[in-house]
Amino acid sequence: MADLREELIDLIAEEALIDKAKLVPGATLADLGLDSVGVVSVVFAVEEKYGVEIAEDAFKDVNDFGSFLAVLEGVVETKRAA
Amino acid sequence: MTSPRRIVVTGLGAVSPLGLGAQATWEGARDGRGAIRIHHLDAGPHAPDTRDTPAAVIEGDLLGFTETLVGRKIGASLDPFALMALGPAQEALSQAGLIRAEVLEDRTALVLGHGFAGIHTLEVGYERFFGQKGTRMHPLTVPKVMVSAPVSAVAIEFKIRGPVFAVSSACASSGHAIAQGAAFIRSGECDVAVVGGSEAIVTPCCLRAWEGLQAMSPTTCRPFSLGRDGMAIGEGGAVMVIEALEHAQARGATILAELSGVGLSSDAFHWTQPSLDGAVKAMGRACEQAGILDGQTVLISTHGTGTPLNDKNEAAAIQAVFGESAPRQPVIATKSAHGHLIGAATAIQGVIGLIAMREGLAPPILNMLEPDPECPLDLVLGEARPIEAQAMLLNSFAFGGLNTALVFRHWR
Repeated sequence: MADLREELIDLIAEEALIDKAKLVPGATLADLGLDSVGVVSVVFAVEEKYGVEIAEDAFKDVNDFGSFLAVLEGVVETKRAA
Repeated sequence: MTSPRRIVVTGLGAVSPLGLGAQATWEGARDGRGAIRIHHLDAGPHAPDTRDTPAAVIEGDLLGFTETLVGRKIGASLDPFALMALGPAQEALSQAGLIRAEVLEDRTALVLGHGFAGIHTLEVGYERFFGQKGTRMHPLTVPKVMVSAPVSAVAIEFKIRGPVFAVSSACASSGHAIAQGAAFIRSGECDVAVVGGSEAIVTPCCLRAWEGLQAMSPTTCRPFSLGRDGMAIGEGGAVMVIEALEHAQARGATILAELSGVGLSSDAFHWTQPSLDGAVKAMGRACEQAGILDGQTVLISTHGTGTPLNDKNEAAAIQAVFGESAPRQPVIATKSAHGHLIGAATAIQGVIGLIAMREGLAPPILNMLEPDPECPLDLVLGEARPIEAQAMLLNSFAFGGLNTALVFRHWR
């Protein structure tokens, strides 16, 4: 699902105004300047674009960009498989 | 007692239906390129069918223009009404030579006026809530909707750290913003003020609300014309940099005009009907303060909304204030070109009028059928007319009876 991952990265870069080159798996959300409002803005954009709903506690174990992206990918893929 | 500090204009910026940038806006007005057109605003599946709505909208790439000006991505982080303030602020500060200047750190005020707030964001949010029954609102809804969003965006962008806030008085909002900025300079609290306003209310639901007032034309805006039947809404923003004369001179800034009269009044009378007394009081105060009632030529940038009542009242007020010289003063009404920018109206007309005075050309009033004999004024019609004005009077009379009149003197 490399295409989906790429699409999500583009969406995050656009929505959170972060340089795409910085969006690498090891970066922490703090490094990226992705605060709670930024996270919810991204969640909102993903929900609108893919018609999914992301639970409020979906990111409780997220500490870096890789795991953040994995949660979003998982939600979209689950919806597509349904 | 020492005489009050003199105040001059050193920077102008604008985005409007006439163009992106102050110069493009001026050229559109000068060349009589009217921007009021019939639109169909689709509010989605939960709204009633669209219908013909005259309005003037920004047709260029506002986001791209603004991102290029400020040199960074903005994306969807700002409501259009904040975006419409940011670009003009950059343009005005750049012309004034004040980008990253030390004076912004403390002795600069920033006051912008808006009749409304982030209406685009609000309508999209409401559609999601009431229409789609969405359970969550976008996390930036509040910072995008709040009426102080534009001043915060501008302050953050340019690091303006003096008094910063928004003011609101419907169609006179940016007139009050300019007056408030001038007061900060006059009192000595600030040396510079970034003032103006913005408005972005060409949205499906908001325009229906305006139609409810029975003040909107079903076709277009025809100021001082027989057969005029109301106003047309426009969108945009405009910003001026004003500063103490000695501050501008000490740093060798190019002076564009002097703000030499400020007249404010309230009718305390009626929501939508104008009052002769209120208009005369504001205009008279501004003109007396500026000392321009001695027969000199004054370019009058009228409120000129194209409603039957406003234009008749404003013509009577001009006659009352100018007396014998009233029929000789060139009168313009640029809302016929860019529509009524409500909270940004005074500021956009200020930018156009100041360039007009410097260029010695008065832009024409558009959409005229035949001059109304009840408004016996020297209306500039047809094409731009050469003028030699020593000053400009800029009128704004808001719903709710809130009036501002500003006088700018030509600077030689």
